[in-house]
Amino acid sequence: MNEFMQIKKIHSAKKIIAQLALLILPSTLVGAYMLWHLNEYYSVLENQWVAESAFLAAGLIAGNIFYNYRFRFITTLLPLLLLLFILSKIVSNTFTGEFTAFYAITKFYIFSFLFLLGWFSGWAFARLRWFPVVLSALLMLIQILVISNTIDITTKKLIAAFAPVLLFAFYIIYTAELVRNMNEDEPNFSWFISKKIIGFGIVAGIILLLIFSFFKKDFKAIEKQYGGGEPKQEGNAESLTKENKDGTVSNKKQMGLSGGRKSTKQLVFIAKLDNYFSNSDVPNPLYFTYDYYTKFDTLTQTLEVDSLMPSNDLFQPDPSKIPLYFTKSDSAVLDSAKGFLKRKVVSTEVYKALLSPKEFLAPSTAFFCQPIAVEKEYKQQFKSAYRAKMFVSELNSAYFVYNPAGNKQLEDFQKERFDELRKVSNWDNEDTAFMHYYTFIPKGDNFDSVRALAKEITKNAYAPVDKIIAIRNYFLSNDETGQPLFKYTDNPGVPGLPSASKLNYFLFDNHKGYCAYYAGATLFLLRALGLPTRVATGFLTVDRSSKNKGWYWFYDDQAHAWTEVYFPGYGWIDFDTTIPSTEQQQSPAPDGTPPITVQTALFVTNGKVISIDTLKKRVDMSVTQMIYHDRTFELAEPVSLDMDVSMATISRDSGQVSLSELQRGNQITALSFSEQFKNISLKDSNDYKEIFAKIPRPAPIDEIKISDTVQEKKPATTIKKKEPISFNTILWTSIAIAAFSILVIFSLPWLIFKWLDLKAKTTKPPIRKAYYSYVAATYYLNQMGYTRDQLPVAQYAKEKIDPRFGTSFFSFMNVYLKTKYAEQPLSASEQTIVENFYKPFYKKVKAQISFKQRLGKFLNFYRTINFYSKPKI
Amino acid sequence: METVNTETALQNIQQLTDNIETVIKGKRNQIKFVLTALIARGHILMEDNPGTGKTVMAKTLAQSISGEKGNGMVNFKRIQFTPDLLPMDLIGSHIFDDVKKEFIFKKGPLFCNVLLADEINRASPKVQSALLECMAENQITMGELTYKLSDLFFTIATQNPVEMEGTYPLPAAQLDRFFIKIIFGYVDEETELDIYKNYLGINDNLLHIKQVLGIDELLHLQQQSENVFVHEEIIKAVRNIVWATRKNPDIVLAASTRSGIIFLKCLKAYALVNGRTYVIEDDVSDLAQPVLNHRLLYRNKDAKANTLNNIIITEMDRLSKLKINQG
Repeated sequence: MNEFMQIKKIHSAKKIIAQLALLILPSTLVGAYMLWHLNEYYSVLENQWVAESAFLAAGLIAGNIFYNYRFRFITTLLPLLLLLFILSKIVSNTFTGEFTAFYAITKFYIFSFLFLLGWFSGWAFARLRWFPVVLSALLMLIQILVISNTIDITTKKLIAAFAPVLLFAFYIIYTAELVRNMNEDEPNFSWFISKKIIGFGIVAGIILLLIFSFFKKDFKAIEKQYGGGEPKQEGNAESLTKENKDGTVSNKKQMGLSGGRKSTKQLVFIAKLDNYFSNSDVPNPLYFTYDYYTKFDTLTQTLEVDSLMPSNDLFQPDPSKIPLYFTKSDSAVLDSAKGFLKRKVVSTEVYKALLSPKEFLAPSTAFFCQPIAVEKEYKQQFKSAYRAKMFVSELNSAYFVYNPAGNKQLEDFQKERFDELRKVSNWDNEDTAFMHYYTFIPKGDNFDSVRALAKEITKNAYAPVDKIIAIRNYFLSNDETGQPLFKYTDNPGVPGLPSASKLNYFLFDNHKGYCAYYAGATLFLLRALGLPTRVATGFLTVDRSSKNKGWYWFYDDQAHAWTEVYFPGYGWIDFDTTIPSTEQQQSPAPDGTPPITVQTALFVTNGKVISIDTLKKRVDMSVTQMIYHDRTFELAEPVSLDMDVSMATISRDSGQVSLSELQRGNQITALSFSEQFKNISLKDSNDYKEIFAKIPRPAPIDEIKISDTVQEKKPATTIKKKEPISFNTILWTSIAIAAFSILVIFSLPWLIFKWLDLKAKTTKPPIRKAYYSYVAATYYLNQMGYTRDQLPVAQYAKEKIDPRFGTSFFSFMNVYLKTKYAEQPLSASEQTIVENFYKPFYKKVKAQISFKQRLGKFLNFYRTINFYSKPKI
Repeated sequence: METVNTETALQNIQQLTDNIETVIKGKRNQIKFVLTALIARGHILMEDNPGTGKTVMAKTLAQSISGEKGNGMVNFKRIQFTPDLLPMDLIGSHIFDDVKKEFIFKKGPLFCNVLLADEINRASPKVQSALLECMAENQITMGELTYKLSDLFFTIATQNPVEMEGTYPLPAAQLDRFFIKIIFGYVDEETELDIYKNYLGINDNLLHIKQVLGIDELLHLQQQSENVFVHEEIIKAVRNIVWATRKNPDIVLAASTRSGIIFLKCLKAYALVNGRTYVIEDDVSDLAQPVLNHRLLYRNKDAKANTLNNIIITEMDRLSKLKINQG
């Protein structure tokens, strides 16, 4: 009765199911993949891609089912938006406290955005024919944008970004058309559907497997980094160190200002540093530098490492790649360090506990690295060690914040070095590019207020060093109530408004933060005053040892960030403005004794293993490099050396191993501390052959270190040194990929035709030739717009084609249909018809259609799809 | 399997078609369907408004075939069906012979070779059913006696569109007896003009028409059509179409198995009429509507217009993409 009020289905239930299974399900999968991929790049998504995909899927399915009924889009979308708006109000009122509210609201926005996106796509799948094309283009665009944001592009990354999307594009464009044209009354409809799903499932499975096996390591690393599935970690915490796959620790390359920071009390490494105050035996601890942060990204609120920083004085060798006792040094960093006044060379020995064997830390400015052996009895605790040499400033010290009250020597030192630095009043003679880079501050209101604050704090200070001291004192000062103005905390919280700068929040509102906050704030305060400043990360050195002078213990919670200021002539000087923590406990007092006795290896060889006899404990190696009594020899020709390894300890980066793990072809370093080498006199001979002639055979070996030749992942250092790929390269690569795929899609009809054309022209047996001529001809005509529509084939030839083009298609069709249905041999005249049909036919038709038209029509791949799909009914 | 003696058979059919076309202009397709029904040993039903040439068609056909002894045309009868027509008027009746003092059977107009049943749907159902047996079995039973009809018995029935007044719709069983139902249709403008120009000539032509085919030759042709080759895929196509009518919810009464067999018979005859000794996919497409449409009952008018057509298009698409006989 009121039929016009009823909401009717547009499609039958079967078609809706087909849409859900063939279009929505794959879209959901690709959506999930994209979200997973995006999570790698955008931390705002918080690695909740499963939940996010679920929302997207819900939107897609709901939207699609909903709009398969005759609902209007606009009138139904508005109530939905209203509903979401009300929900957002409820959410923001339920969660009180600026911190949780901010998170809840952000999350709500993300989820409702994804749901709406799904809803819209579901609608478009139900209603818009061209949507798959638009969707594919959109996904491609997203991937291009994502990829262009990454610095180190690899083939893997490109494949991971584009392969699934490209495949999906092909799939969805074809399938959407298939679903449109599908006849739901077909007898085997459900089989047809399940066939397609199984096919898609298999293909998707293979692709996913490939991707997963390709990225297994990265995948796991990401999982670990975000603490996937480990509930004990706080989602919000951020550590300055990161755990590697093998359980060791490295510094992170990014320093975020996030809500909180976590740290444990685990020993990372210990070091002996031969740095003492001048003319005394009082140790002068120095911070161990790992990296420099010179750029601040206002978007992500993080300080970043910039490999292009001017005068890069960072020495970052990979100790695990240097054979034991061999050395690596780089004097270029000394030039870049720009300091020559009050400098001296200091050496340190670092024994790594939890620290990754690949990492290198030393006070700035290091220029020399030599891996050394660890004494047998300490091998359990310390996996590897190296010796490093630095060109350090005499004015540098870990003492800056801590008021050395009472300690006369320290007070004198502080006064002395500030007096020395007061000599510097300007940077007029410096390179302008250098100065511009290190005093750069982003534009914006936030930074204007930082500038104002910097002026206010330092209004009474004139010498640059006094300004620095003034800033330090500002952080240490008390407010009007007598309480400390600033506090140290690992969990400073996050400002309530999404756009507010965390730094400003720290400086002007919260006054709470950990080292990265103080370092970041100091960086901008100093730069605002025109002082070239950078942030250094590494480890805070605390002198807690009275027994073993010069030995320092480094725990996980000593990972630190501080500022360095450049003084002309003196180089970069450390200034740590982080105030002491009042609530934090001190790290446990160092226990155990340091591995004091460092043996000097008399004989070191480096080369490849030739043969191993595990019974007799003999190893033959081919030596390419050798150190003998501190002299290094590069062997022009490899010399083979037989060694007695019965006393030797075998080790890798991962620790001590058994002899059986030594394999032929392994790159090893063999050491000997044996007395037998002491007595051989060399008489200044430079000939390694002479040494080999004199040393005892088999050579007694005390230690063998296997270098892990497997190049797992490029070490961070080399990636950093690499020129970042410019935005243009990325853009052009992406455009090239997009263009190529578009080209393939649009030239597909032409390629198919060329294939059929070739077949029709070259096939010899008349019956097959007839078939290919028929297919090629009908394909070509279809592509040119002369579709068969609903005519039977012979009638099509007779009534539609022959009158239009003046061809003899019909007489050919008669012969072709005879070959198809008659099971009779062709007569000679019929064979000639087949023989002489295709070429003249093609020429004739081609001649009657202009090139422009042909080109335009070949670009339309929908005609191709229609040619191969079932007729529209 | 005996192959068709092609040359003469095809020639004969060609001659017959051409001959009829001298009178019935611009109706080549309809002529082909009539001949198909004839050669398939079936009957044909033509539906259209009066005055489109149905009667002339039947007459011409009859006159083109020479009678049993080669002289004169075949026995052609025409019955104008009216509501008051009685079965006896068709079949004949027993009448009392005064001389022999017994009842003798006076044969009615059904005893002929070519029967034109004009406006068949104006007769009462009783009369229509009287036609049933002779169309199906080629015989007439009167009481205890069964009279055999001639070997060549071909009915051309015409009917006015069902919507017209004073018509009785044909029952399904009756319709099923007609192998083919076609709509005769108007000729195109050019041909119409030709016909007007020599309108006298029509009757003239009819009078002077040649008899191109003997009745024996026609019976032979009917036999020959049995030997036309039907490819397995064509048989499958017929099966698919028949099955599709049964599955379609818009079709209330679907095609029977007998309709499938009739379809195949017609396909063979149609191939021969088109000068071929094998059936091709176009034949299926051409014949599906005339053979099947009148056997189906549809849910509504929309369905009547499209359903069968859609089924045929789907099946034709399958056939057109088949790759067979590549050995």
